[in-house]
Amino acid sequence: MSQLRIVGGTVYDPANDVDGEVRDVCIDSGRIVAELPSSAPRVDARGMVVMPGGVDIHCHVASGAVNVARRLLPEEHARHPEGAPMLANESEIPRSGIAGVVPTTFTTGYRYAGLGYTTVFDAAVAPTMARLAHSQLSDTPIVDGGFFVLLGNDAYLFRLIDAGERERAREYAAWLLGATGGYAIKIVNPGGVELWKRGSRERTELDGALGSSRVTPRAIMETLADGAIALGLPHAAHIHCNNLGIPGNVETTLASMAALDGRRAHFTHLQFHSYGRSPKGGWRSGARQIIEYVNAHRSITGDVGQVMFGPAATLTADAPVEYLLHRSSGKKWTNLDIELETGCGVVPHEYRERNAVAALQWAIGLELFLLASDPWRLVLSTDHPNGGSFMSYPTLVRLLMDRAYRDEQLRRVEPKLLAGTALADGLSREYSLREIAIITRAGPARILGLRHKGHLGVGADADVTVYAPDVDRTAMFTTPRCVVKAGTVVVEEGQLRRAPSGRRIHVRPRYDPAITRDLADYFDRSATVRFANYPVGDLPDAPSPLIDHASPNGAR
Amino acid sequence: MTAPSIVDNVTCLGCGCTCDDIAVVVQDDRIVEARNACTLGARWFGDGRVPLRCHVEGEDAPIAVAVTYAAHVLSEAARPLVYLAPALSCESQRGAAAIADLLRARLDTVTSATASRVVLAGQERGYASATFGEIRNRADVVVFWAVDVERRYPRFTSRYAPDPVGLYVGGRSSRTVIAVDVGGAISTADADRRVSIAAVDEVATLTAVEALARASADTPAAFAQMAGAAWAAARELAPLLLSARYVALVYDAEPDGRAERSPQRFDRLAALSHALNERTRCAAIALRAGGNRSGADSVLVAQTGYPFAVDFARGYPRYDPHDGAALARLREGAVDVTLVLGDAGSLPDEIVRALGGVRCIVIGPRASESPLAAGAVVIDTGVDGIHARGTCIRTDEVPLPLRAPLAGPPDTPSVIQVVGAAIRRLPFPHGGSVAAAARGA
Repeated sequence: MSQLRIVGGTVYDPANDVDGEVRDVCIDSGRIVAELPSSAPRVDARGMVVMPGGVDIHCHVASGAVNVARRLLPEEHARHPEGAPMLANESEIPRSGIAGVVPTTFTTGYRYAGLGYTTVFDAAVAPTMARLAHSQLSDTPIVDGGFFVLLGNDAYLFRLIDAGERERAREYAAWLLGATGGYAIKIVNPGGVELWKRGSRERTELDGALGSSRVTPRAIMETLADGAIALGLPHAAHIHCNNLGIPGNVETTLASMAALDGRRAHFTHLQFHSYGRSPKGGWRSGARQIIEYVNAHRSITGDVGQVMFGPAATLTADAPVEYLLHRSSGKKWTNLDIELETGCGVVPHEYRERNAVAALQWAIGLELFLLASDPWRLVLSTDHPNGGSFMSYPTLVRLLMDRAYRDEQLRRVEPKLLAGTALADGLSREYSLREIAIITRAGPARILGLRHKGHLGVGADADVTVYAPDVDRTAMFTTPRCVVKAGTVVVEEGQLRRAPSGRRIHVRPRYDPAITRDLADYFDRSATVRFANYPVGDLPDAPSPLIDHASPNGAR
Repeated sequence: MTAPSIVDNVTCLGCGCTCDDIAVVVQDDRIVEARNACTLGARWFGDGRVPLRCHVEGEDAPIAVAVTYAAHVLSEAARPLVYLAPALSCESQRGAAAIADLLRARLDTVTSATASRVVLAGQERGYASATFGEIRNRADVVVFWAVDVERRYPRFTSRYAPDPVGLYVGGRSSRTVIAVDVGGAISTADADRRVSIAAVDEVATLTAVEALARASADTPAAFAQMAGAAWAAARELAPLLLSARYVALVYDAEPDGRAERSPQRFDRLAALSHALNERTRCAAIALRAGGNRSGADSVLVAQTGYPFAVDFARGYPRYDPHDGAALARLREGAVDVTLVLGDAGSLPDEIVRALGGVRCIVIGPRASESPLAAGAVVIDTGVDGIHARGTCIRTDEVPLPLRAPLAGPPDTPSVIQVVGAAIRRLPFPHGGSVAAAARGA
């Protein structure tokens, strides 16, 4: 890999306290370096805004569930065909695809890179489906990526919790992360998916027992949050709380946060978990309660899961939610119970400005952003494609940076449920470019424990995005002038020109090998995949290079 | 003779159940036994010997020459078709999608000629399903809906349901097995209840069961007035299903040769799986035949958005599933060159006949002994899952590794190697390299 000097840009690198300073960014062999010989090739960035490459902490782009959604949406795909890019590098095969709500693999990589994003994590992969996720990531070019492994409804984990063996539960999590090539522990509706499989249609209570009184959503979250900390995982347990999407779930969310009091934990797509309930059972915003709690508790991080108006696809391991959505919307529905581990549900959806609930969801997400006191701990996501596509991030950035634009949008939406929201009360905050750099790159990288991502300090991965400033922030963030990934210029003059393969980011925590004896026996009795065939290690395109995060402080 | 060696935990592609517990005994570069395999599995593995011939226009040729010639023929084609036969790993299927995209070809698989109605029904309304391990561990009622499971999916009952003891349900004696025989064909021999319906009543019966499942407590009185064989069968079935905790509704996605059965049944089965979830839990299980057919669906969906019947002619994928797909295009003369990948010996007869009038490049195991052996280019390869490693997708979407019990002989090319070499030889400005093809494919 070659050298490159990005000259004279206005640099926003919040992790290194650089806030709009004109300086050069020097790159050698895929890393940021302090200096280069004057003969090094140059990119003129004078007058441009320079940031680290974007880091998506929570999206759905490579998993069994994503493919279920892709399969379910042929009519959606037909509206968004995408030709192959004109690549300059002849060793890369340009691929066509679909760029709609649930884009195809290659197009996903091209589009993320086209927005200046260079690192992407799929937030929900069933362990059994890990091979599928790896295969799809291998077909998602340019971006470095990884995934979080679903553990919150795992029958073997429940057995260990029931036996009071939380340390062994931690060892199991460590084994599973290594076996699947995952990056972090994901908890989705802890216990609630198992209850759905057993036929329950009730709300999930934090202390409701799953067969055994020792196995409760609270115990599952405690065990896994503690496990992530004890294993020294770079990222905390990544938690999708119980009762997503249900009016009044703000109580569940607050109780879940309190249950993990003082522990490092990441609460995801908080917008979907910030719903209050009116005395008559209707919807109202609970954003203020949630964000005040987050603001006051430094151990908690979160992402928003903003709703953006337009078509979406809801796809989640939280299968009972999709059952409810199918019933209420009447739209088509695929459910796939995944053996001993989790669930999967998909329902197409559309958020309409004139729909009162959608307008409330939109407003709640913005309330969370605008009332957050620490951008390092509340970062940007749309839970792509659940709240909207990642391709709408530039519009979301504009909503945060441009009050006039936001107020104009606010006037367009159905106001019925917005009374009493902070948004309707006239939030005036506008995010700065520094804050945008935090919530889209520096913050996610820090929360994920990626020391070499999200900043431009010496030794960081040379993932750099150069934007042409524009008062229309949507336009500015939609078409970066230049994107550099690991030192390779992938976007030139706004055009995608190169599409190198991205790297897999995963962990291999140490575990006590004694756990595998009982596990092998469990697999023999209950699983349909042989224990020896479960780990993804023998994939022909096994992740490379392996990054060992076993050190207590995480990244590399 | 060398001593035999055993390769454990080999995945079988004999049917879509993809049992991954086969112990393959190898001696002198031949498979001498496939332990645990059923009859379909034994046939799949065979002795592992494959011909290694390579023909260009009927003459023996070195493989490099054949690949160059194939690339030339493909690049000259005006309306090429890339057709995926069974017996390809997902890696080979990814390579096939890449070359189809580069060629702006049509891309289709055996799904369009076999299980397209199941896939389309799923796209129209969705379905409620589960992976096999869920029904192994949970299903207390197992319905075999007109599926000859013992013959077509021989180890399904012993590996998945109803025989195994599950975490939340006992073994065979704890489960209720219902056989629904349609049009006189016996569904499964081992059933606790047997319901027989005429083929002409199949869709009506499914609709009636769905109506009963969706009925609220006070509506069955209205249904009591409904007469006829379908309603009689439905009244027998519905209580059995609705009193279950978890129903496995198992049916065959593949053609069974009974033209009198309406393909509409697949839509009704998907609808019934939804309806039963209003009252209890239900997983519809549509079984697929062998050779990693579900893998082809999965790979095409990931890369193109569509599971089969893809057309890249305009430079991007379009979906064309409703009027016969590749078969119809072949019959109407809208294809001038076809690249057939995989086991051409297991193509549906009508596809083989339709390919008779088209220039074919055939790359796959036993290509030289297949009905397409007279193709313009014929390159024998090893078998994915026997000679080449990779990945496959079980019928229920679960990915499994393909080991290669006979891996090693360097003179046995794999499909992906040949496809990669062909991509490198395509005279496109962005033709790329074999390494990139393998990586990007």
